[in-house]
Parts: sequence; structure tokens; C-alpha cells
Amino acid sequence: MTNDILRILLLALQFGFLALLVGLLWNFSRTLRSDLGAASAAEATTREGIGRLIVVESPAGEPPEGRTLAIGPITSLGRNVNATVYVEDDFVSAQQALLTFRGHAWYLEDQGSTNGTWVNGHRIERPVALSFGDEISLGKVRLRLER
Amino acid sequence: MIAGQVRRLGSALLVGFAVVVGGLGFWQVVAAESLNTRPDNPAVLAALRSQPRGTIFDATGVALARTTVANGLAQRAYSDPAFAHLVGYASLRYGLSGIEAAWDDVLNGFTDPNPLHQWLNDILGRPPTQYDLTLTLDRRLQDYAAAQLGTSVGAIVAIDPATGQVLAMTSTPSFDASGFTGDPGSAAAAWDLIAAQPNDPFVDRARNGVYVPGSIMKVATAAIGLDSGAVTTDTTFPTQPEEEINGMYVDGFLITEHDLNGLTPGLWDMSEAMQVSSNIYFAHVGLEIGQERYLSGAEALGFCAPWRIGPRDHGLSGVASSVTELTDAGCGPFVDDAELASASFGQGRVTASPLMMALLTAAVANGGVLPDPFVVRDIRPASAQNGPLDEIVESFAPGDGTRVMSAQTADSVRALMVDAVHGPLGAPYAGAANVALYGISGVETAGKTGTAQRGGNLPPHSWFIGFVPAGPDGSPAIAVAVIVEGAGPGSQSAAPIGGRVMAEWLRLAGGG
Amino acid sequence: MGGSLRWTEFRLLLPVLLLVPLGFVLAHIGQVGLAETGPLAIPLAYLGLVLAAHLLLRGLGQRGDPFLLPIVAAMGGIGLIILGRLPQDLAGLDALGLGMAPTQLLWFGLGLVVMVGVAVGLRDDGFLRHYKYSWGLFGAVLLVATLIIGSEVNGARLWIFVGPIGFQPSELIKIVLAIFLAGYLAETRAVLSQATVKIGPLKVPPLPYLLPMLVIFGFVMAVVVVSRDLGTALLFFGVFLTMLFVATGRRSYVLFGFLLFFGGSVLAYFLFAHVRVRVDAWLNPWADPADGGYQIIQALYAFARGGVFGEGLGQGIPLINGHTPVPAMHNDFIFAAVGEDLGFIGASAVLALAALLVFRGLRVAIGAGDDFRALLAVGLTASLGLQILIITAGNLKLIPLTGVTFPFLSYGGSSLLASFAIVGVLLAISHRSSSTP
Repeated sequence: MTNDILRILLLALQFGFLALLVGLLWNFSRTLRSDLGAASAAEATTREGIGRLIVVESPAGEPPEGRTLAIGPITSLGRNVNATVYVEDDFVSAQQALLTFRGHAWYLEDQGSTNGTWVNGHRIERPVALSFGDEISLGKVRLRLER
Repeated sequence: MIAGQVRRLGSALLVGFAVVVGGLGFWQVVAAESLNTRPDNPAVLAALRSQPRGTIFDATGVALARTTVANGLAQRAYSDPAFAHLVGYASLRYGLSGIEAAWDDVLNGFTDPNPLHQWLNDILGRPPTQYDLTLTLDRRLQDYAAAQLGTSVGAIVAIDPATGQVLAMTSTPSFDASGFTGDPGSAAAAWDLIAAQPNDPFVDRARNGVYVPGSIMKVATAAIGLDSGAVTTDTTFPTQPEEEINGMYVDGFLITEHDLNGLTPGLWDMSEAMQVSSNIYFAHVGLEIGQERYLSGAEALGFCAPWRIGPRDHGLSGVASSVTELTDAGCGPFVDDAELASASFGQGRVTASPLMMALLTAAVANGGVLPDPFVVRDIRPASAQNGPLDEIVESFAPGDGTRVMSAQTADSVRALMVDAVHGPLGAPYAGAANVALYGISGVETAGKTGTAQRGGNLPPHSWFIGFVPAGPDGSPAIAVAVIVEGAGPGSQSAAPIGGRVMAEWLRLAGGG
Repeated sequence: MGGSLRWTEFRLLLPVLLLVPLGFVLAHIGQVGLAETGPLAIPLAYLGLVLAAHLLLRGLGQRGDPFLLPIVAAMGGIGLIILGRLPQDLAGLDALGLGMAPTQLLWFGLGLVVMVGVAVGLRDDGFLRHYKYSWGLFGAVLLVATLIIGSEVNGARLWIFVGPIGFQPSELIKIVLAIFLAGYLAETRAVLSQATVKIGPLKVPPLPYLLPMLVIFGFVMAVVVVSRDLGTALLFFGVFLTMLFVATGRRSYVLFGFLLFFGGSVLAYFLFAHVRVRVDAWLNPWADPADGGYQIIQALYAFARGGVFGEGLGQGIPLINGHTPVPAMHNDFIFAAVGEDLGFIGASAVLALAALLVFRGLRVAIGAGDDFRALLAVGLTASLGLQILIITAGNLKLIPLTGVTFPFLSYGGSSLLASFAIVGVLLAISHRSSSTP
């Protein structure tokens, strides 16, 4: 009889273990959902428009003229295939410049290029905040930042 | 960008996980039951190695199969080779057969007759409780029957016509399974020794033997003919006396009479035809009945389908008997009237098992109701002693049976079979079965012999069916079917055995 | 952010820290007397190790994904529980003479150290991406070395022994392969995804770009042929294909790769007896239940015994006739033991944990913000996910059985260290992306 009671107890504990295991997954998935909610909210701002680049002029055809380039919060520009925006122009350095979205604004930073990066006709010396509609020049390639 | 591709990869992997969970569900939920009970499952085998098992007792409480567990190894011993086929064996190496197989879950306790017990045992992980079985068979009659067969090859089935209780069911040659039940490693030697013997001792001829019935089939033909109204017991066929001598053509096929031992043929009625066992007469009866009516009549009597021996769902099977070519769907149609005519006197493509013929006889004895055959009388808690406990968990009542012919037909056939034993023409044939010859007086015996012709120069099989007491208002106590392989005419071998077995039972039942 | 992150991780960790010790106690009650160490020593040590890893990680300012540690702690804990209820000398006693569970706990602790070390130490991944070809070469050398000086265990050449300590180089190669491919693909992905040659209506990448793929495929096939390690070969090729797909977004590569692999498999089936044995045992194990189909049949029996709710922890059959019910139940078939003890519900939960791990790994990749890091996260995550799928599907007779470990659950130091190193890298990558302002 005591044997039976012990067995029932053990059985209950075994079910308790399974319940805990499932509960643990539930805990994970709940936290996951709130995390995903935050992430997709952040992503929504990204998608709607932290911005995009329009290729205004590109003599070598890479990137092609008139093309719209989607850009992420960290976008590298340069003559390196690793760059987010690959630019084919002999006057452009491998790692020419870095476009970053911080808080609510875009910043452009020259990465120590040979021939410089220009915004609206001015060569930039330090990171500058951009407005939508600003024109970025690297070598002979001109890009416009749009929303 | 990359994010889209990563999402697609994620979906693909998720599908992969879903498929694996599906597979898990299949093996753990859907297929679990069938895997858990597979006989080659090592967990099942390991449990069986040391698994206690209920005892099987005969009707008088003598242990037929007992298990002793020594050194963690279960050893099952069988006390009586006469029961070898019916009781079967529970071997770690060679699996299960007979009652051991059909009642395995009760004997080993994996299925409890009480559902509440079953549920409690399951969730509490209690060891299963074993149960003992008591059979309807009486060891004394079974041993007596087996002794009558002796060293010849054959089978005897005896049934209580009123209840369907199987009283004896034995097959020779037999074997002792005790040698191959225990340690799987040493089981092969004992098994091989039995398997190497002539006449295949493992075959249960009583349930699964397939034989040409010969003249005992005339009892079935008479029953079908009378019950369908195609003939009466007074029916005669004018061409019959002449055909006894010259043979009769059916569809261009010549049917001849067997050796009448110098008897001059006359215009016989059914009783006389049954007594001399006239092939010609019963060929005519069959043709009168016609192909379709004969076929449906035979099916009603139990031909054309396998037998289940109860009780309940714990069925032992018995091979299907047939009157035509047997297919999975049952008996096929007769090819022509020649086949029908041959079948009517037990040749052609007719096959019958001793069990089939015993049940047919029981139906005649029981006023036309075919009893539901069963071999287990009750279930009791497992006993550690050498005898059954008094407490009964479940006992089995006889079934309702199935009416297969009218009471009037049954009585007519009874009278025909009594004439076959006692009548002046029949006595030289089935008279050897008269229980008066074996010390029982004042009781009429019903019977019919058969001589099943085989091809070539092989000696025929010897058949007998019968029942006692067979008087007009007697209540029959036993119906038997006897076959002795290759023993010649039924009158010489099977009939006296049948008579002795019936007489022995009247003695046992009367004295006990 | 840092504070809430630490809190999130702790909140996720808490039920794990309850679950695993409870499991230990239950498993011990379920089969009293088998464990050589007392019932509380291992769970307490486990508790201490996981908590220490958590505090150290966050105390050092690591702000990586808060899901990863709780998930792998749960998986590793369940693995320890199961290993604790199996006969302790199953893997042969090691140099320290400890049983299986204590040894695994030791490796588990070392794995946590490696994880924290990688997560905190991998601030600059320049040496990974810039020397990709060196990494590739290192992997190749390791592979060739295994084939030459490796020792055979169970018919597969998988082990390199240094003194008494053996390790499975394939676990390390897996990581190195992901690093190499991430570097290579990050650099060439623009070209690979753009360049096309038109053959009729079909757009296919030009041949020179397909060459690396063919080289790797050849490599993989060499592994199959020489080391007889089908599972690892399948894993390598799967990781390669997923990374290629993520880098280029081109299904034609995947399709081409699949065709290649399928063709190769069919060829291998007809050429190599050991492949044929595996496939035949998969198609119909009951045709040869005593030999070829033995393992998989026994595994299915173990799953079936578990049913929906399981036999209960520690109540699975430890030995049948002196052997575990399934051969290799501590590594290749540990999932069968999970299924036996915890049933469909428990085993599904373990799979859900694994899926969650994959999900978080891919999430890290999406947030990585840099092609190399994203691809590295994808490759490493895929290697864990695919490995789990390959072994569980193999256990369940969904695909032919191939011997790979179940990351975090299976017995074995190489597997545990490699898996924890992967989690360390994922933590490091997610730290970088979360620290971008």
C-alpha cells in the first residue's frame, strides 16, 4: 500500500516535470513574442523609411543610373564588393564612406578615402548629419538620399 | 537583402522540425501499441524470460501447463501430450500456439479481466496479475481418446452437443513442448528433434487437418436435401438399382458404386441407402438439390469458412472446410453437375476437418442447432498450488448456437444415423460403433462411417462420426468425429474407436 | 538595456534551474542505486556552473542575446539527466575513472567557460574574416589529418587521439568551415548573386563561380568515401548550401546542390557497401532485424515504450540482457532515451527547445548588420539545426541513420565544446549589433 502511494507520488512528480518543461517553453515563447514585437516595430521604421539612395549619375554603370538602393542602418560605400553599396569608379577607395542611421537621423562619415567624399558639393572632414534630398558624391558617382 | 533569405531558411528549418515532430508522434502515439506488443521486441522477450504465467487446468482440476521460475528464467512444463496441440506452447524461442497463444494476455496478466484493475496496474506500474484457466475438456476422456489412436496418425474431436463444450480434442502424433519453452539457447535441440519426426507432430489434425470426408458427407447431403425439401426419406430413384451395377453418367463423367460386398441392389429409400452408403443414391440426392442450393446449404452447416473456438474473442481458429474449390472469399461455384454429384457422397473437391464433422454431428444431435464450440470454462486467480483456486473471476456460459436445420430434419437425420448403426444393412459397416459392444447397454447409437479414397495405391483414411444416446427422445451427451489416416475402411478402424470413446464418456459422465 | 537584458536572461533561466535538479532527483528515485555520485552533487554543481556563467557573462558587460544561455542550459541539463540514468560505464571509463554523467558535467562546465570566453573575447572578428583562406586551409588540413592519422571507432574514422584524450575533429571543422564560407561568401556574394550566363531560357551562374561549390562537394564526398562518416558529410554539405542560399538568394544553387548530392548519394549507394547497408536498413529494417536494422528497430521500440507521457525519468529500461536497449544510447541515440523517458510530450519539448535555439540564432544573423557576421551566424546556427534534424530524423527512421551527435545532449567533450563555442560566437555577434547606437 505504501508502495502504491509512493508510486502515485512519483507519478505526480513525473507529470510535474513534464508540465514544468512545457511551462518553460511557454515562458520562452511569451518573452519571445514581446521581443519580436519590439524588433518588428524597430524594423517597421527601417522599412518605412529610414531611407534609400537614388543613383543620380554613374558613368561606369555600377551601380546603374536611376536605380534605387535600399539601405540599412549601417551602409558602407566603396569599391569593395563587401560594401553594402558597391561603387565601380577608379577614383573611389575600397572603403570610401559609411552611412549610419542613429536615432532619427542619417550620418555620413568618410573612411579616410584618397579622393574624398562630398555632400552637396562640400568635401566632408568629419561625420555629418544628412537631410533627405542631400546629394552624396564619391568620385564621379552621385547619389541622392531620399526617404 | 540577407534578412529575407534568412527568414526563408528559418521557415525551411521549421518545416524540418515539424516533420520530425510528426515522425515522433507516429512512433510514440500511432504505432506505439503495435510496436510494444511485437513478439520480437527485446523488452517483451526479456520480460517473458522471467514472467510467471497462469496454470491451465483440465475440467477436473489437473494441471496441464505450469510455469516455474528458477534463477530468473521461466520454464513451462506440460504434463499431458494428449493436450499438446490444443493447449499449445509458450516458448521464449518459438513463440506461442494453441490456447497459450489465444489466451496469452490473460495467462501472463497483461490484460486484466477487470478493466479497473487493468487501469490501476497500468498507471501504478504494478506487476501484472496472472490468471489460471480451466478447460471444458476432461483429461480422462482426452487420454482415453489419445490411447485409442495409439501410434496411428489421426485425430478425435468430441463435443457436448447441448452446450458446445469441447470434451476431447486430440491429434496424433503428439509431442512434449516442455523441452523448448525455457532457455532459448538450448531450445533448438528439443524442437529440432520433434520437427524431424515423421508425420509432422506439430500439426493439429483435429482443428487444421484437411481431409476428404468420403461417406460421412452423406449425412450432410441428407440434411441439406431434407431441409431444402428437395427429397424426403421416402424418395427413391428408379434408375438407381441398375446404376449400382453399371455406373451412372453425369455430364459425361462416370460415377460408380463402391464394393457392396455381394449385396444385390434394390430400389432403396434413404435409410437403406445410408446403411449401405450408396454413392449412386446420394449422387441423385445432390442432383435433386442442385448446385446453388447445395452450396448455400453447406455454407449454413459451417463449410466454406474458418472456425472460431470460443469463448469470446479469445478464439482458437480451425481451418475452413469446403465442398468446392476454396478461395479467400469462401467456396467457389461447382464447375459442373459431375462435381456436385461427387461432392454429395464426399468425393470431388470436398474437404473437411475433424472439428467440422464433429460440429455437424453435434448439430444433428442437438435438434438442428449447431452449438458454439468453446474450450475454456472459467478464469481464476493464479494459484501457487497444484490445483485451481475456488474463486472464479469469470466463468463462461454456453452460447446460443445457430440453427442450421429444422428440428424435423435433424430428427430424420438422427434416425438415418441410428439405422446406419443398428439397421440390418448398416450393421456390417457402422455397427462396430454400437456402444453396446463396449459395455453400455440400453442406449441407441447414431453413426456413419467413411472411407476417404486417396490417389494411387495409398490406403484410404478411415472416418467415423456419431453420437449417443441417440434414441428418439434421448438427450445426446457426446458427439464425436474420428479420423485415422491410412487405416482403410471406416468400419474397421474409426468406427470401433468412436464407439469406445462415446461409451467411455457415458461411463465417466454417469459415474462422475 | 543592460539591466533589463540581464533580468530577461535570469527570468528565462529560473525555470530551467528548477527543472533540471528536479529531473535529477526524479531520475534517481526512478532507478535507485545506479548513480555512483550522490543524487545532489551533480545537480548542485550544474546549478552553480550555469549561474556562474550567467553572472560572469553579464557582469563582464556582455550584451548578447538573452535566450541563448537559458536554452542551451536546459538542453544540456536534460542531456545530463538522461546520461545519469544510463549505465555509467557505457562509454568506457575515462582517464579520471569517473562515470558518464560526472564526466559530461565536467565538459559542460568547460563548455560554459569556452562560451563565456568566446562571447567576451571575440570583440574584434577581423582575424576571422581576413584570414578566411587560412581558416579554410586549416579545416582542410584537419580533415586530411583525420583521414590519415585518425582512429576508427565503430567503422567510421572520426577520432584523433592525443595521448589518452581523443577528440572528434569534425566538430571543429564544422566551425572552421562556417568561418571560411562566411568570409568567402561575404566577399563574393555580390558577384555570385548577379552574374548569370543564359543557357536557353535558364539563367545560370557562370562556371567559374560554381567551381568552389564543386570543390567543396568533392571534399564532402571524399569524407563519405574515406571516413565513412555519412552524417558529417551531409551536415557539411547542408551548411554549405544554406550559407550559399542566404548569401545569394538564388534557389538554382540550392537546386543544383541538391541534385549533385542526390546523384552522389545514388552513386555511393551502388558503389559502397557501407552506404548500401545504411540505406537498406532504413528502407526495411525488419528485413535484417538482427544486424543491419538492429539499431533503428531498437530505437523505435524505445520510442514506442515512451508513448505519449513517457515511462518516467529514470524508468526507461536501463539494460536488456546486459546491453542498453539501444546501442549507442548515450550519443547517437540519446534522443531515443529522451523519448523513452519523457514520451512524445517531453521529446517534442526538447525539439521545440532546439527549434527555439535555431530561431534565436537566425535572429542574431538578421540583426548582425554586416554580411560576414550575418553569414557566420547563419552558418553556425544552421550547423546546429541541421545536425539536430539529421540525428533525430535518423533516430525516427525518417532518413537513413547517420552517426552525428545531438548537440548539448549527447555524451562527448568535442561535441559539447564545439556547440558551446558556437553559442559563444552567436553571443558575440549579437553583442556587437546591440551595442550599435
